Amino acid sequence: MVIARLIHRAALALALAGGLVLVAMTLLTVASITGRGLIWLGLGPVPGTYELIEMGGAFAVFSFLPWCQLQRGHVTVDLFMERLGRRANLIVDVLANLLLTLAAAVILWRLWLGLMDKARYGETSFILGIPLWIGYSAAALGAVLFVAVSALTMVQSLQALSGRAAEGDGR
Amino acid sequence: MSGIDLGLLSFPVLMLLIFLRIPIGLAMLLIGFFGVWSVTGSSRAILAQLKSVPYDTFSSYSLSIIPLFLLMGQFATRGGMSKVLFEAAAAWIGHRRGGVAMASVGACAAFGAICGSSLATAATMGQVALPELKRYGYSGSLSTGCLAAGGTLGILIPPSVILVIYAILAEQNIAKLFIAALLPGLLAALGYILAIALYVRLFPDSARQRDAVPSAERWQALAKVWPVLTVFLLVIGGIYAGWFTPTEGAAVGAAGTGLIAWLNGGLDWTGLKESILSTAVSTGMIFFIVLGAAVFNSFLAFSQLPQEAARYVGESGLSPWLVLTIMLLCYLLFGCIMDSLSMILLTIPIFFPMAMALDFGMSAEETALWFGILVLIVVEVGLITPPVGMNLFVINSLSDGVPIGQTYRGAFPFILSDFIRVVILVLFPGITLFLVTALY
Repeated sequence: MVIARLIHRAALALALAGGLVLVAMTLLTVASITGRGLIWLGLGPVPGTYELIEMGGAFAVFSFLPWCQLQRGHVTVDLFMERLGRRANLIVDVLANLLLTLAAAVILWRLWLGLMDKARYGETSFILGIPLWIGYSAAALGAVLFVAVSALTMVQSLQALSGRAAEGDGR
Repeated sequence: MSGIDLGLLSFPVLMLLIFLRIPIGLAMLLIGFFGVWSVTGSSRAILAQLKSVPYDTFSSYSLSIIPLFLLMGQFATRGGMSKVLFEAAAAWIGHRRGGVAMASVGACAAFGAICGSSLATAATMGQVALPELKRYGYSGSLSTGCLAAGGTLGILIPPSVILVIYAILAEQNIAKLFIAALLPGLLAALGYILAIALYVRLFPDSARQRDAVPSAERWQALAKVWPVLTVFLLVIGGIYAGWFTPTEGAAVGAAGTGLIAWLNGGLDWTGLKESILSTAVSTGMIFFIVLGAAVFNSFLAFSQLPQEAARYVGESGLSPWLVLTIMLLCYLLFGCIMDSLSMILLTIPIFFPMAMALDFGMSAEETALWFGILVLIVVEVGLITPPVGMNLFVINSLSDGVPIGQTYRGAFPFILSDFIRVVILVLFPGITLFLVTALY
């Protein structure tokens, strides 16, 4: 399915982007600490590291969510369900993925309204004066894809339930 | 229905959803959402909160320590450090009875000092140590048991992801918690080594002996360990000395292990990509649970349950030690079916105020540190208790063909060692608090 492949590729790309931001955060921090340590040489900490870490962290975590769901990385307790047989499990999968899609949609909806708030009141970060809506927008990328991935996993589990998916990730 | 009733009712409903195999983070999110809705009588409060809660949680400076520590652990697994550590430990104690298993535990402890996650420690050390254990005729149950238990040292010995979460929930100093975890972590390694020593004397067939290594080679093997030692001292020492915040410390650690991995040739683009993707899955998993817990806990706060429970326990006149014992037993019980992070996030908002309302004859901060370390240990026991001990599964899947029943049995001596250690640490809070008092 073209859409499934597209979503998969987008989630992979976004997760890698989030990871590279994480790596950039470590380098920024090391540079800032080094600067702070060498203050007697006329160097200094990188200004605004704190808020850059916050924005970068939000982007990274939101970007990781779709990939995590695609890899079925969320923690579940497999204790009683395995005894209930295949059909009951498939039904629960559909239900869980449906609920997750709804939750992801609510998260996106509220994040969007939060973004509008930040844009309307023109809130900026403390030191560098970066508008906060920028951080929210970067996070929204992950939130949008999270909805898409959850919906995809729901469709896949529905297909598995109706017996149409012979193989693939719909368990 | 009053808020308290709703709060009490939420737990069985939550358990039901979790047993239906709804992801734990999602279950907490849903119940928190509808919980606040019913307590406040409208959807307005919770919807207003959700405009900022996900972004604020994910952008939290103190929580950003978690992806950084996870990345550090990923780099550490790619840097060939596990092999170096195992060879050094085996050179020194490998020739003793059960020595190769003891060396595995020792190497796990050392690896735990640069890795904040149990599963990563178990998986990494398992890959290195399992073939060696097999080569020297160690039985399947002893090999898998000692590595599953050794893996828990990843979390017990700082840095530790779970301790970071506890510190944030309980509003405690992360640096002090890391220091407090150090002696109990070393005690854990010692306890596991003793368990192995007893085991191989009771069952002499379970291990063959290895030849001793000449002392020159021993020192050579030990000398190769210096990068691990440097990174550990820099991260923990730097956080303790106040050179940098814990989050900065995690970044320094990630950069340090990244550099080691790169110099050892383990961090080309493919290696970096795999590190990032593993970090992404673990981070996504952890933060989704943290988000669910944030919403669930705001519901609990609305319901007044934590305050009431603490007041009730404080005024009940029950012995503090009895209450503590019951709480720790609860963790052991839950640990059989739940993962450590979810347990901490679910229980600390209720158990922590309770523990603080009790009088153990210590200052509030001392009680908080000591309680945190005790909880850390009992939730980690959950990783090696059947039927849902994640470390057991990880190690078992790495061993070729050890039946899971043997792994379950192999974990038993180590679970026993954990129990004894918990009792010792409960009876002697000084062991946990000694370094904190001495250093601060």
